[in-house]
Amino acid sequence: MAQSYKVQQEFFVDMQRCIGCRACEAACAECETNGHESMIHVNYVDRAQTIQTTVQVCMHCDDPVCANVCPADAITKDEFGIVHSANTSRCIGCSNCVMACPFGVPKKMEKYDLMMKCNMCYDRTSVGKKPMCATVCPSGALFFGTREQMEKMRPNSTPVNKFIFGQETVETKVNLMMPKGSTELKVF
Amino acid sequence: MARLPIDAEEIIAKFGPSLHMPDREGLPGRDEPDTIVETHCCFCGMQCGIKLLAKNNKVVGFEPWMEFPFNEGRLCPKGVLRYMQNNHHDRLTTPILSKPGVGFEPVSWDQAMEKTILEIKRIQSQYGNDAFAMLSGVSLTNEKSYMVGKFARVALKTKNLDYNGRLCMVSAGAGNKKAFGLDRTSNNYTDLEKAEVIIVTGANVSETFPTLTHWIWRARDNGAKLIVVDPRVIPLARTADIHLDIRPGTDSALFGAILNYMVQHDMLDHDFINNYTSGFEAAKDAVKDYSLEWAEEITGTKKEKIEATAKLWGKASTSFLLHARGIEHHTKGVENVLSCINIVLASGRIGRPYCGYGTITGQGNGQGGREHGHKCDQLPGNRDIENPEHRKYISQVWGIDEKDMPGKGLSAYEIIEAIHRGEIKGLLSICFNPLISLPNNNYVREALEKLEFYAGIDFFLSETLRHANIVFPGSLHEEEEGTVTTAEGRVVRIRKAVNPPDNARPDTEILIEIAQRLGAGDKFPYKNSEEIFNELRVASKGGTADYYGITYEKIEKNMGVFWPCPDLDHPGTPRLWEDKKFKTPDGKAHFNAVEYHPSKDPVDDEYPVILTTGRVVSQYLSGSQTRRIGKLVQQFAQPLLEIHPTLAAQYGIQQDEEVIVTTKRGEAVFPANIVETIREDTVFIPYHWPGKKSANQLTSGHLDPISKIPEFKVSACKLTPTGNIAVVDKYSEAYKSS
Amino acid sequence: MKKLIDIKAFITATIVTILTIILVFIGSRSLQNYDAALVAYLFGTLFAIFGIVYRYTVWIQRPPTWIYVNRSFKVLFSKEFFHFSWYSIKDFVKNIMLQSFILKRGKKKGAAHLLMAIGCSLAFAITFPLTFGWIHFTLVPATGLDPNATDIYTAHFFGFAVLNFPVKSIIGFMIFGALNWCSILVIIGASYFLQKRLKEPGLIAIQTFEGDILPLLLLILVSITGLGLTLDYEFMHGKAYEFMAVTHAFFVIIFLVWMPFGKFFHIIQRPAQIGAHIYKEVGKRKGMQICKQTGKPYTTQLHIADLQLITRALGFNFRNEKGDSFLEYSPEGKRDMLANAHLKARQEAGKFFG
Repeated sequence: MAQSYKVQQEFFVDMQRCIGCRACEAACAECETNGHESMIHVNYVDRAQTIQTTVQVCMHCDDPVCANVCPADAITKDEFGIVHSANTSRCIGCSNCVMACPFGVPKKMEKYDLMMKCNMCYDRTSVGKKPMCATVCPSGALFFGTREQMEKMRPNSTPVNKFIFGQETVETKVNLMMPKGSTELKVF
Repeated sequence: MARLPIDAEEIIAKFGPSLHMPDREGLPGRDEPDTIVETHCCFCGMQCGIKLLAKNNKVVGFEPWMEFPFNEGRLCPKGVLRYMQNNHHDRLTTPILSKPGVGFEPVSWDQAMEKTILEIKRIQSQYGNDAFAMLSGVSLTNEKSYMVGKFARVALKTKNLDYNGRLCMVSAGAGNKKAFGLDRTSNNYTDLEKAEVIIVTGANVSETFPTLTHWIWRARDNGAKLIVVDPRVIPLARTADIHLDIRPGTDSALFGAILNYMVQHDMLDHDFINNYTSGFEAAKDAVKDYSLEWAEEITGTKKEKIEATAKLWGKASTSFLLHARGIEHHTKGVENVLSCINIVLASGRIGRPYCGYGTITGQGNGQGGREHGHKCDQLPGNRDIENPEHRKYISQVWGIDEKDMPGKGLSAYEIIEAIHRGEIKGLLSICFNPLISLPNNNYVREALEKLEFYAGIDFFLSETLRHANIVFPGSLHEEEEGTVTTAEGRVVRIRKAVNPPDNARPDTEILIEIAQRLGAGDKFPYKNSEEIFNELRVASKGGTADYYGITYEKIEKNMGVFWPCPDLDHPGTPRLWEDKKFKTPDGKAHFNAVEYHPSKDPVDDEYPVILTTGRVVSQYLSGSQTRRIGKLVQQFAQPLLEIHPTLAAQYGIQQDEEVIVTTKRGEAVFPANIVETIREDTVFIPYHWPGKKSANQLTSGHLDPISKIPEFKVSACKLTPTGNIAVVDKYSEAYKSS
Repeated sequence: MKKLIDIKAFITATIVTILTIILVFIGSRSLQNYDAALVAYLFGTLFAIFGIVYRYTVWIQRPPTWIYVNRSFKVLFSKEFFHFSWYSIKDFVKNIMLQSFILKRGKKKGAAHLLMAIGCSLAFAITFPLTFGWIHFTLVPATGLDPNATDIYTAHFFGFAVLNFPVKSIIGFMIFGALNWCSILVIIGASYFLQKRLKEPGLIAIQTFEGDILPLLLLILVSITGLGLTLDYEFMHGKAYEFMAVTHAFFVIIFLVWMPFGKFFHIIQRPAQIGAHIYKEVGKRKGMQICKQTGKPYTTQLHIADLQLITRALGFNFRNEKGDSFLEYSPEGKRDMLANAHLKARQEAGKFFG
């Protein structure tokens, strides 16, 4: 497995480009590892006031909080930095990861008593393809490619992968496109 | 009489719409498909490239087609889930006959054909040939569109053929013909990439053409200023540099004022205007009183924003103006379009790289379909059915006597009116669901019920076809070879991935058999789609929409060819007007004098609120296909009444409260969605749903005098809250409302 | 820094292992009833017990796990003892015995897993007491000597005779054939999963040989070689007995040794699910946590309070200067806040694009 994972390709997110079409959501369910469930999150930020939507994939943290708080050792990170969805035989459906993840990513599938989350379309990325969501995204809110490609396309933005939540700094594999020169995003 | 044979609910139980949901395990065989077919999405005018995976004559999944230049793998949710329309339990797989009190019964092809021919002959001998009408649609390929046009005139011998493109971009077509003598967007969309200023007016790009967003965002990455004109804050407008939230129906006032501002401040390309255009003085005079203050009054938008727009547009060195149904669905749709063209021509920014203008065609083959086939006043190659030379040329291609070529017929809505009046007694429809897509559909229903005979060709039993006496099971997009022309004017190949299932047949085969049985078989000798296309090439030769130089092989090799392409060595024309030779009689681009006229259904004391309609991203047009795809249905499960909190407060309307919306045509109930992203004087309802949930129960049949497009975008309405709070979740059954 | 050896776990595992050995002595009446042929299995089992207890102890000491253990026991032994005991029994039957949550993940999958689970549990229930010498069978001598009489066997448990049964009876057939039936169930279930793992791209992408394929292979090999013993005995007159016995023992011992490390550990872990369910029930009674962003309830207050402790214990600090915690926001609220922070950054920079 994973011999063909293209390490030079990275994931870039920019939710201000999102048009809320949910193509990513439909495509995510097509990912073979998800059993036709969508793992990506698209939601209105506050529909009464704005049409703004946000899109969230798993950021694949360097030191994933989800894996740390898991009582069943069900979440693992691999050599490519991909934080995998819960091991189906171990997960006990406690939702610790769901509530602790600072990006609000893991999903508790109540019916299956199982947590599921984005694994960056491992069925595709592990054979050198791009993740489904970033392939179909019509707005570039999700993009999968090299840093050089990104630099060329959006020279006035900088990929940032450091996020501040209170006194915690979380570094991630997935990048957020920020105004040029930014080094981090303080969320809370 | 074409009435429902049994209750709608009983028909729905058998023929749907029902939801196709994916199995958790996925469709069997998608990991090892028999074939992977490079084709296109069957939905909007973008015609995004997509690969379909087929196994055992079923489409089992898709894969992004990264190499196709327009979308490079990008898709919208409809595109992603488009494969779910195949392999659907609602699919018609045998001809059916309507029996009052019993329902629809399967019959043999022979019986269905015989009955249909008998009725056509009876009606035509009793009431005349034109008493049998045909309605068609532009989800059909170029081949089918061309053939429908020929079929109606040569086999059915009726002048009354029209199509659902009448509800789409006919205003743009008419405006473009007036101004440029040719009806196509002037550039391919890659020209957006380095446009300095982009105006998008009446086009909810992010929901109706999501994949076009990429090119607009690319332009903004390169520094473009984006101006969005729309009564709602559509997703495209949220981050726009200027959002002009104009009152529905005031587009020509806005663009008139902008033209006037350009004149006043000499932001004109005099060289271009003097050398390559005509009619400027008249156009200028028509707007000379259209001050910013006046425009603010009419459009309800701050004059500062209008001025800022005029300045940006006036000073830009490259630009692109895009419009769609938002300005076209009006009784002055053509005027609105011309007012846009006027500011483009005044800027002189056309026929150069990154300088573009165009309508965004809505339907899958809205572009190709409107050039070659089934428009009541038109012949292939975008020729005029009333032009003697054009008639002569096509008659010769078709091998008929010019005297036998019918003249100009009635447009879609006029056909419905003629049925009402008893002038049209029989109807054959293909790929058209007027009971949802035409305005004032209670009136449409009454018309259908008056028909003496109604036959339809389709793959699902649409709401309209429930009224049919005979329905022939036709073919899906992925079941026949062909071509379509995208909104950019790019002719692309549609590939067959699977055969029609069971007893269903390809559309062309069905039409050919009817033609044969009507005695015109010799005029339809086609063995395959390519032969039809080759005849279309000849028929279009010398017309404005010239496809002669386009072959299947050439399309496949180049992933599409832009028309006009007059000979085999011609590379196609991605960008029009580089030679500044326009296709008008005088070879110049025409300014047109456009005065502002109010809409035909203005608000008053009794109906004080403006109702406008539109679409949502997860549904396509009348929803005949998309209301059967489970996940698309659940994405936006029922039509909601978008209303501003100020207006809601005025009526005491609560979030999710059911509100009765009443117009002069009728009333319907929708849950309120209270949002600040709409004008205070306007409410919005999306129109994809049927029956009691149909917004088109409320819209009016007022038509544009030139294009005959109905005025979907402006109706006066009143609102009555009911006090009931609706459950707004993904499980609504609005998709099959009767 | 992780400790090389967890002393607590080591001591616990040692005590449990020694206790087991003592019970073997008692149960087999000082090895008088012990079948020497099973010694290899016994050592394998003792190793597995040591390993499992060691790992289990390490595992439940981790902050997130310990909270659950702690809370579950406190609740179970509170005044609501009866309520939650009954709840636990119901939950055990529904989710551990019938595995309804797996059935919901897929009917075939659920059925196949159930077959494996029944086969394995039954086999454990038979073989462990056998290996420990707690159960043995003796032929009633009188019936054995008389060629005309039906052979009658006596089953002994912990040295006490509990049951007499004729060998050619339904009970005899069931008892002596039980392991064969287990093998067949396991083979059907495991083969189903194995073929899935060999052909489904979604599974292929994330599985590992040692984590997913090896356990299935082991189950199948143990079962096949076990069946082989019977086949050899029934049809081959014991010609291949030695080979069969050695290969079976070999795979069983690998299986046992592998238990504490690999996928089979989930069998031991799974009952924690009941703890998670009880925890949720208790939490709901105490009240829901309201998201500070969306204003909607998203989990129990107990859960968030405990997560504060857990994250702290693990070295994460989601509190801001004001002392508010980011854990007090729901997943959706957190996503909204990230989007808004990003929006603000873009707005301040004056452009959204580029």
